[in-house]
Amino acid sequence: MQTQDAITPGYAMRPKLNYLNNGTTLKSWLLTKDHKRIAIMYLITVSLFFMMGGLYAATIRLELLTPASDLLETGTYNKVFTQHGILMIFFFLIPSIPAVLGNFLIPIMIGAKDLALPRINLLSLYIYWLAGGMALWALMQGGVDTGWTFYTPYSTTFSNSYVMAVGLAIFINGFSSILTGLNFIVTIHTMRAPGMTWFRLPLFVWAHYAVSLVMVLGTPVIAITTLLLAIERISHVGIFDPSIGGDPILFQHLFWFYSHPAVYIMILPGMGVISELISSFSRKKIFGYEFVAFSSIAIAVFGFLVWGHHLFVSGQSMYAGMVFSFLTMVVAVPSAIKMFNWAATLYKGSISFDTPMLYGIGFMGLFLIGGLTGLFLGAIGLTVHLTDTYFVVAHFHYVMVGGQVIAYLGGIHYWWPKMTGKMYSEFWGKISAMLVFVGFNLTFFPQFLLGYQGMPRRYAAYPEEFQVLNIFSTAGASVLGIGLVMPVIYLGHSLIFGKDAGDNPWLLPGLEWRTTSPPPTENFAVMPVVTWEAYEYGEESGLDVEAAKRRLAVEAAT
Amino acid sequence: MSTHETSDKFVYHEPGLQHQFEDMGQQEESVSIGMWAFLAQEIMFFGGLFTAYLVFRSKYPMAFAAGSNHLNAFWGGLNTLVLIVSSLTMALTVYYAQKGNRNMQVILIMLTMFFGSVFLGVKAIEYTDKYNHGIVPVTGLNKVVKADTKSEHAEVKEKPCYEVSHGEEEEEYVNPRGEFQWKDCSLVKLAQDHNYLTSAEKIGYFSNGEIDADKFRDKVRIFFFLYFVMTGLHALHMIVGLGLMTWLLWTAWKKYYSADYYMPVEMSGLYWHFVDIVWIFLFPLLYLLGRHFMH
Ligand SMILES: [Cu+2]
Repeated sequence: MQTQDAITPGYAMRPKLNYLNNGTTLKSWLLTKDHKRIAIMYLITVSLFFMMGGLYAATIRLELLTPASDLLETGTYNKVFTQHGILMIFFFLIPSIPAVLGNFLIPIMIGAKDLALPRINLLSLYIYWLAGGMALWALMQGGVDTGWTFYTPYSTTFSNSYVMAVGLAIFINGFSSILTGLNFIVTIHTMRAPGMTWFRLPLFVWAHYAVSLVMVLGTPVIAITTLLLAIERISHVGIFDPSIGGDPILFQHLFWFYSHPAVYIMILPGMGVISELISSFSRKKIFGYEFVAFSSIAIAVFGFLVWGHHLFVSGQSMYAGMVFSFLTMVVAVPSAIKMFNWAATLYKGSISFDTPMLYGIGFMGLFLIGGLTGLFLGAIGLTVHLTDTYFVVAHFHYVMVGGQVIAYLGGIHYWWPKMTGKMYSEFWGKISAMLVFVGFNLTFFPQFLLGYQGMPRRYAAYPEEFQVLNIFSTAGASVLGIGLVMPVIYLGHSLIFGKDAGDNPWLLPGLEWRTTSPPPTENFAVMPVVTWEAYEYGEESGLDVEAAKRRLAVEAAT
Repeated sequence: MSTHETSDKFVYHEPGLQHQFEDMGQQEESVSIGMWAFLAQEIMFFGGLFTAYLVFRSKYPMAFAAGSNHLNAFWGGLNTLVLIVSSLTMALTVYYAQKGNRNMQVILIMLTMFFGSVFLGVKAIEYTDKYNHGIVPVTGLNKVVKADTKSEHAEVKEKPCYEVSHGEEEEEYVNPRGEFQWKDCSLVKLAQDHNYLTSAEKIGYFSNGEIDADKFRDKVRIFFFLYFVMTGLHALHMIVGLGLMTWLLWTAWKKYYSADYYMPVEMSGLYWHFVDIVWIFLFPLLYLLGRHFMH
């Protein structure tokens, strides 16, 4: 194969129209079947939900600045943390990377024109909008105060809030994520370009294959659970109500059967992004490709067998607890495999610290802490002390925010030039990445200490001796908030004033960098044939990177 | 590739080929994998319900036996037969679609729809029966019958629930608020005498060592709740299936399918068979298990 110019591999066939300007009417967006446009609409919607969830978070941190519950009434506080959780988990974290980056990139990365089922893809967006609208309506009517876990019998019998509406919104939203997962599975099976074998797929695609398995097999269980919850709430039959023979623990089993795998929906795509970032910015083939690929599948499979670690103190039998505790330790192994492989990839790589890589490195540190503290909580003895304390809150925020959100931001910065064709300000990008990292640690590390000292979660008031650490946490939250608002500004700015990014700003070999930026509607002017392995930085990739670098150096000098 | 550069008018497109696919084989494989993945999620969806059934049946086998005995195994059996026959006609539809035989397709699709409707009709008869007997588990959804003021003394002669014989409730059906009613707890007595009761039942049916009719009723109510949710969701899938069949009938009539292109028929068939299989599990679990306690 002839070597292509690494800077503008798609330049010779540059089409007049790209996916953004191919049709400018509202209808051309709303009825589009183009996965890239659907991804952009997802991007806008999840960002709005992220902002709303963030406002709730800010309110929580303000309330916790002082020991007394003075900003909010305790009942309102319950609603605020519940809605923070519901918006962030169901409407931001779960769709974030898969529906935005996955949707945009999977077809391009495997060399296809679109996802296999484009109409289903559009349908999943509409279902997501419908569910989101319903949740917002319920929130405006008065909201819900059960905690995002909807534990029975509080949610079925005692809570006087809009449990049913929110439950149904989550029920409906589930089908959006099922359809997205189903679409990815089909696409990865059947739409790969000639020569794109399974073991030439970018690890981002492997991670999405694994996460799709969880979406398709796990989400229906939460769907039926919330449906039962809603029916129980109107009919008072007693399937979850212990006073008439029901079983509240059954709810917890059904709920966590989905919601534990769901935490992998909220981290596996992030891991996929990090595999790309680490390899790309150390310009080195990923260490142990097969291990990283199969560890994603292993996480998806084992993730289904550990839900009982949420029921250690809920009246689950001791023997079940021991088995679940053991399996929880087991599921940490594939995550550790990934960490070691990333670290080995960095070793002797030529690392450059561009903004996406800052997020990549940040992820490794934060996920390390988040993952290891998960083992604390999986240990059947220690967890009795830590259950329902701020230790748990800090743990899952290290994984969800330190993991998924950081990876999401890293991914957005990394692929922004591809998605928009524009380059953002590297200076502000770095500043913002630093602020997010520092602010995040300042917010959540004190919460480990608070939890270990015994501060329970979900209370608006707390004893005075906890105040110092809570002030640190709130201060950190404001830094984090600034760090998160900045990208909105400089990324938005780049849309209009940013300089053209070119097809391949980081000089990388992946398929997505071999088409124009932004890509044309059918993704490639000529459908690609793959002859190189994944993460091939040498000449085998068919791109002449060295010549491109020399040319860039000359251009910079003149 | 070069053909695409000439005018689009002359590019041959196979019927039904979507723009994102290169050829028909790729499209068929995609649709087929998609359908199987969809059925996998359906299994998990019903799986949650089967889990709930499993949990409560192993906790309260007598209440489930009592509820199960009230269901009419004849209607249930008839429906099983009807669905199995409809699966046959569906399979034949796919066969004739592959042969490209339009008329047989249309006839068989109509037969499948007929059997599907018979199934739903029988289901409606059964649901009405539950409504008339006051065993819909939701208050207010049962037939309301005000107490007859003249025969008020009838309520006085209340017997212990385990002496209520089968069928006796019907004659004196009184249900002023449309509540779930269950008077017969003879099975509890039987199980108690033979030492059958599970530990959950020993707590769940008794107050102060005496059989508590109300507590037993609540457990039977859980059975009927699961019965309605499971058969109701199944019936909903049947209705969706009938919608699919209507569309299939229309497109088959329009000669949309041929020996080269019959994917939609095959996929609708997969769905139809899946819904049948769900019923094959529901029938024994709801109608048959526990009958040996009484017969
Ligand atoms: Cu978990």
